Amino acid sequence: MVKRKARVNEKLCLSCGGCVSVCPQDAIKLINLIAHVTPSKCIGCKICSNTCPVAAISLKEVK
Amino acid sequence: MECDVVVIGGGPAGSVTARFASEAGANVIMVDRRPEIGIPVLCGEGISQRIDNWGMLEGTDWIASKMDGAKIFSPDDTMVKLSKEMAGNETGYVVYRDRFDKELARQAGKAGAKLLLRSEATGLMKKGGKLTGIKVSQDGETFAIDADVIVAADGVESRVAQWAGMETKLKTHDLETCFQYTLADVDYESDYCEFYLGKNRAPGGYIWSFPKGNGMFNVGLGILASLSTPGMAKNLIEKFIDNHPIYRKGTPIRVLSGAVPVAKPVETVTDNLLLVGDAARHADPITGGGLTTSLEGGKIAGEVIGHAVDTQTFDKGTLLDYETRWKEAFGQKLLRNYVVKEIMLDFEDKTLNMLADSLKDYKFEEFSTLSLVKALVLKHPTLLVKLKPLMKLSEKQD
Repeated sequence: MVKRKARVNEKLCLSCGGCVSVCPQDAIKLINLIAHVTPSKCIGCKICSNTCPVAAISLKEVK
Repeated sequence: MECDVVVIGGGPAGSVTARFASEAGANVIMVDRRPEIGIPVLCGEGISQRIDNWGMLEGTDWIASKMDGAKIFSPDDTMVKLSKEMAGNETGYVVYRDRFDKELARQAGKAGAKLLLRSEATGLMKKGGKLTGIKVSQDGETFAIDADVIVAADGVESRVAQWAGMETKLKTHDLETCFQYTLADVDYESDYCEFYLGKNRAPGGYIWSFPKGNGMFNVGLGILASLSTPGMAKNLIEKFIDNHPIYRKGTPIRVLSGAVPVAKPVETVTDNLLLVGDAARHADPITGGGLTTSLEGGKIAGEVIGHAVDTQTFDKGTLLDYETRWKEAFGQKLLRNYVVKEIMLDFEDKTLNMLADSLKDYKFEEFSTLSLVKALVLKHPTLLVKLKPLMKLSEKQD
């Protein structure tokens, strides 16, 4: 089955922390003020990408 | 390192807590992961002039301008005006948040707190189930700070609260996601903050414009995260500015994003640990404003911590005094405004237009959300019937 995981475009992130606040899996944290996703925790729910005000997070297919 | 109190996060709530705990005699360390206090700014920069009464900030270089009132525009652009002339009392400031935060941090340091920059909390330390301090990473080195009290002032995304097992995870229904432009050389004289409502403009939120003086304006928007799609906040504010006859001619000199809790009050205390500021969800669920509540809450936290250090008791029961006192100061108001937020989210644009039309000539008692809510309850008792039980309880807190 194809899985989708959140991935951050670091160039777009403005470090508001919205994604960290709403991630139900605690899969995102800010490192040096940029959002980072831990893929093993991500369930691909899209909550972070929909919340992001600048579209810095998208869901990518992984095998 | 060792201290009585370690504060994680050097924003307004953390700095004020650090200051008042220090003034009460506690030995305080405040850590912040950033290289510079106040940067990046993640805020609309509006605050009530009530802070003048609290004497927390010296000087005036953190003040950008004074506001004389508010204009609220319904979806069909019917205007409701709350002005100082009608109110005869204080309104608000637009501030430079970077300077504002630095002034509060300076006051914390002056009171005796020690500040560590570029210092990120990476975890809590426990002994026999009891919290004993935090682990900190600074310039690639990791060390421990032993403390009797840990203050989570680490903002909307508080990881410290999560580590302590406290229930603060936000639903998307309780978070506003924000984007703002600061525009320079805008050909418009105004002492009013402006708010624009409407499902097409800002679903579950609003657009704001705060005059910063000298032709500068903060023009931003917040939308409810549960109604947002990727990049929607940025796209909607750009659409608004591009279509505005005046703002579109301004020069963008800063962009910023933000995330604001618009949640019900939460539990803010456990053994050896308490939450302040956005981490404690101390922001108004209607406006998203959190500066005054964070300052008030931080002062209470600092005083309660001072007492705890005096008596060397750091259990939940002792620290609960903080929660009791912030609930007395502004807890009912936050709860009431959460209920108002829930009611307003159900309003169609045509209802907002009708409400604005009924209030457009109303003489408001004062410049506050309370006076707006009161006017609505008076004019439309059936629409806001759910609010009645909360009104009396919360009124003295505004």
